[in-house]
Amino acid sequence: MTILVGYLPTPEGEAAVDAGLREGALRRERVIIVNSPRRGAVVDEHKIDDAASAALLERARAAGVDAEVRQPLHDDDLFQTFEDLVEETGAGLIVIGLRHRSLVGKFILGSEAQRILMEARVPVLSVKAAR
Amino acid sequence: MSMSDPARSPDPLGDVIDADRLQAELEEGRPPHAGPISQITAALVALAVGVFGAIGSYALGLGRLTQPGPGLWPFAISVVIIVLSAVLVVTGRGLEDAERFSKASLLTTVGVVTLVLLAALLPVIGFEIPSLLLVFVWLRWLGKESWRSSIVISVATVAAFYVLFVVLLQIPLPRLI
Amino acid sequence: MDISPILNGFSVVLEPANLLYCLAGVIIGMLIGVLPGLGPGATIAILLPITYGIGPVPAIIMLAGIFYGAQYGGTITSVLLRLPGEASSVVTVFDGFALAKQGRAGTALGIAAIGSFIGGTVSIIGLTLLAPVVAGFALDFGPPEYAALGILGVLLISSVGNGNKLKAIIAACVGLLIATVGRDTFTGAERFTFDSLNLAEGIDFIPIAMGLFGLSEILYNLEERHNQVHAPAKVGNVWPSRKDLGQAKGAIGRGSVIGFVLGVLPGGGATLSSLAAYALEKRRAKQPERFGRGAIEGVAAPETANNAAATSSFIPLLTLGIPANATMALMFGALLIQGIQPGPQLVTEHPDVFWGVINSMYIGNILLLIMSIPMVGVFVRILRVRPAILAPITVLITLLGAYTVNNQVYDIFLVIVFGVLGYLMKKLGFEPGPLVLAFVLGPMIENSARQALLIFGGDPTGFITRPISGTVFALIVLVAALPLIRKAVRRKTSADRAEEPVEEKTP
Repeated sequence: MTILVGYLPTPEGEAAVDAGLREGALRRERVIIVNSPRRGAVVDEHKIDDAASAALLERARAAGVDAEVRQPLHDDDLFQTFEDLVEETGAGLIVIGLRHRSLVGKFILGSEAQRILMEARVPVLSVKAAR
Repeated sequence: MSMSDPARSPDPLGDVIDADRLQAELEEGRPPHAGPISQITAALVALAVGVFGAIGSYALGLGRLTQPGPGLWPFAISVVIIVLSAVLVVTGRGLEDAERFSKASLLTTVGVVTLVLLAALLPVIGFEIPSLLLVFVWLRWLGKESWRSSIVISVATVAAFYVLFVVLLQIPLPRLI
Repeated sequence: MDISPILNGFSVVLEPANLLYCLAGVIIGMLIGVLPGLGPGATIAILLPITYGIGPVPAIIMLAGIFYGAQYGGTITSVLLRLPGEASSVVTVFDGFALAKQGRAGTALGIAAIGSFIGGTVSIIGLTLLAPVVAGFALDFGPPEYAALGILGVLLISSVGNGNKLKAIIAACVGLLIATVGRDTFTGAERFTFDSLNLAEGIDFIPIAMGLFGLSEILYNLEERHNQVHAPAKVGNVWPSRKDLGQAKGAIGRGSVIGFVLGVLPGGGATLSSLAAYALEKRRAKQPERFGRGAIEGVAAPETANNAAATSSFIPLLTLGIPANATMALMFGALLIQGIQPGPQLVTEHPDVFWGVINSMYIGNILLLIMSIPMVGVFVRILRVRPAILAPITVLITLLGAYTVNNQVYDIFLVIVFGVLGYLMKKLGFEPGPLVLAFVLGPMIENSARQALLIFGGDPTGFITRPISGTVFALIVLVAALPLIRKAVRRKTSADRAEEPVEEKTP
């Protein structure tokens, strides 16, 4: 089985990768790091470049985990992207980083993390940014 | 002016690959080529325009070269269009510069419909509501934004336009408020 | 040379309102140069209703700023993202992106900015010296010359443009035909008006321009073109070193000249000059293999050339009243709706417009140089906005703007009709540019031709016997026959080449 790790170049994303790699080592499972930018704009600050991907893979190798980085595009439905990946890879766990959002923030901007937490079919491990 | 393409000058492969690769990348984004039917149809439409113009301008009277009538100039142009379009019908079959109409073209059609509706409704109920609906439709269905974003951005946009056109510039637009 | 009108032009430009419009123009230009999708042509078309109300001098100053500002903007994405923002920035990608990969994006951008500034300035100086001369020479022109020049201009735009030449000429002819709708000035007869009061006045320039250039591009962009999403690019070091500047100065010098010369030719313009300048530098270089791998001249040459060309492409418009490319056709129209007829008499009848515009380019280039290097990061941020959000806003600006020109909903419908036409044309490989250009020149060509016929007493050979118009007509025949000549030459040389053994080229 595989573990999906949602990654953004933020402290929460880093925490997710740490936790995901730890789980991967523990369970001796493959890890797929999912860095999914939003389709449309030319530049998306959430996308990481090849150098950063390579660095992540290096971290995985150091932790003794077999990992890959995938960068599928999503429209308005990051959750769907994860669902499709779960289906395709038979993943058993999703790891995401959570950031505290105010009520207003959640209302106006929505919360994809919340949707994944609520509706994913597989267990979801949520972590916070390292203090 | 004959100037050799820099990508084809005798040079290390690196350069040539870059130019071609760049070209390929830019091409990737575009829809596939339309077939000969589209090319011929386009040429026939142009031909029809030429014929229409020729008939219309002939009816206006060509006059003589010493006293040109109103139809002389448009007639001359129409003839040129007819000739060139005929050539295009014959030679244009194999061209690859047209794009296929795909499902994505439906998006454009929906877009045009919203524009027509805006123009039709504008004098009746003012610009605020049709604008709001247009922006909302473009965001939600054509742009695949979320419900929340679509509503927020469309309201904000119409409000901004109101402030800009009505309050600041005081341009007369048909409006509700 | 009487320099007082030139100095007067500076005083016009330095009026605070005009300075503000210049600043607005270059900022807008840079922004849309960075953004894929809308080009300077579409933006100028969409902003035409604004220019209607503000007077000719600020209007053209702003529109000109948008035009050459977009050349700066297009460079940014070429260097940072390997994505040419404008067609004239394609060549910059090769060495610019290579430099960025080496962590020297700032060097590339810096040299591009400096080269652009110098190229633009050289071109403006050339414009300042050359324009009055050409305008003076053109005062001898009569109706036959204008008819011939107009036809030549239309033909050149169609021939040297991007798409299929045949289709471009057909599009241009359709433009000429559309221009005849309305009342004939000579006889008063109504042509193609179908008893419509609106059409009896003829079709206005603004809705056609907005539709064919502005709306059509928005509609075209609606279809998803699955473009790659890029990670944000780092700019790194900001200024090029003295060594870089020294290395690039030859390229900058040569690029300025190439850009100036090629920009004047109708249809030539920024893209052709950037290609030519790059090719020249590569051929001259002692180590041509550096090109494509981060050669500083590979960025300096095309960037200098494209800005020089963008500036010099104003010359035919300001001196002869003949637009050199589709964007100049928009400027032509913008002047026309202000009641100003572009032509050789522009420099004497409206020196404030003539010199005001030229001098505003000096100021505009300085502003761009100041803004482009430190503010690259700011401009790149706009790339994070999804086009899906910008599209409806742009559309609304376009349609509501169209209404404001005459307070008529009819104009909105016209824009939509021409927008759909332009979209279909783009899909099927017909360039809308030649159509607009021909539409703008149509009345002038027709009236000149008819006046000429009256002068000649109905004898069309008069066109050829007069020296100037005869030369122009010879050029017309040459340009029209060129593709056929070229094909024949190519067939012969490839037949020759097939007989020789193929040589191995050693790097």
